[in-house]
Amino acid sequence: MSRFGSKFYDFYTHPDNTGLMAKEGKRYGYSGIAVIGHDTNEKTIFPEDFSIYTGVEIQAKPSRVRVEIRKYRESDHILIVEGGEEEINRAAVETEGLDILLHPMEFNNVLAKAASDNSVSIGFNLSLLIRLRGEARVRELKTMRNNLKHARKYKLQLILTSDAHDIYDLRAPREMIAISSLFGMTENEAVDAMSKTPLNILRRKSLDYIQEGIEII
Amino acid sequence: MKTIPTLREKKRYLAFDVMSEKTINRQELVREILNSMISIYGDKGASETNPSLMSFDGKYGILRCERERRVETRAGLACVNNIHGIRVSILVLGISGTIKGATEKFIQQTLVNKPELRKK
Repeated sequence: MSRFGSKFYDFYTHPDNTGLMAKEGKRYGYSGIAVIGHDTNEKTIFPEDFSIYTGVEIQAKPSRVRVEIRKYRESDHILIVEGGEEEINRAAVETEGLDILLHPMEFNNVLAKAASDNSVSIGFNLSLLIRLRGEARVRELKTMRNNLKHARKYKLQLILTSDAHDIYDLRAPREMIAISSLFGMTENEAVDAMSKTPLNILRRKSLDYIQEGIEII
Repeated sequence: MKTIPTLREKKRYLAFDVMSEKTINRQELVREILNSMISIYGDKGASETNPSLMSFDGKYGILRCERERRVETRAGLACVNNIHGIRVSILVLGISGTIKGATEKFIQQTLVNKPELRKK
């Protein structure tokens, strides 16, 4: 059964022109995007059936990451930490309340276990594969393969993001799936990474949500 | 000379839409698509995919590829991002078994839905 009827989301974009990006996103088949570090303007006209969410990217020293995450935890912003060295990844996954750890460079079983405990999703930044060529891309692919291996073992949620700065960086869901197949992701995993995981994050951000397994009747 | 049907290549045609800051010509696009494919899959993979551009009018185009290599072709097209400093992105509109099908079903359909594009 084809799963392309699902709703697709892109949770990591930095558009200058949010209205245009939303229009193109809708044409490409997305149901919503998350804009990072940009207050959505009331005047911009958004297409119907298209949702804009706001996200916060936390850029801080490893020692400050925990404090920053706690600060935004109660808000309805989507919290993203761009991974890198082990120290910052560790600080990020060990703090409850983080949604996405994007493209960690060094990832191991300890971090994966912590991420699984705090239900942090692992993000794959596909713009790196689109933009880079040659040796640099080989390095990124290797990192992504490693991340995917750990994520599968610890049943972490995956998420695909485009890191789009303008409409030329945006890619349609099917193209994203094709690109993710370069580092061994299956079609099913890729579809989940663009629809199930984002919806799950949104569910956790909603007001009705209390804790995993508890709901108000 | 025509070969027997079972030995013929099984082809698929991808209808695509190019968005670019400035108009690009056919030659540049072909070169960039091939470059992108070779960069990802190497010479061997690109030869198996066997891409060739059937038509391109500055915005819409049709690319032929091997039937079993549709996903690879898509990935190759998606990784095209820059032609001589001009920002470019390619959106695959659909895949069909014939050129006629690809044109009628995907390219003309798009033009019907968006009449303002036809005036250009």
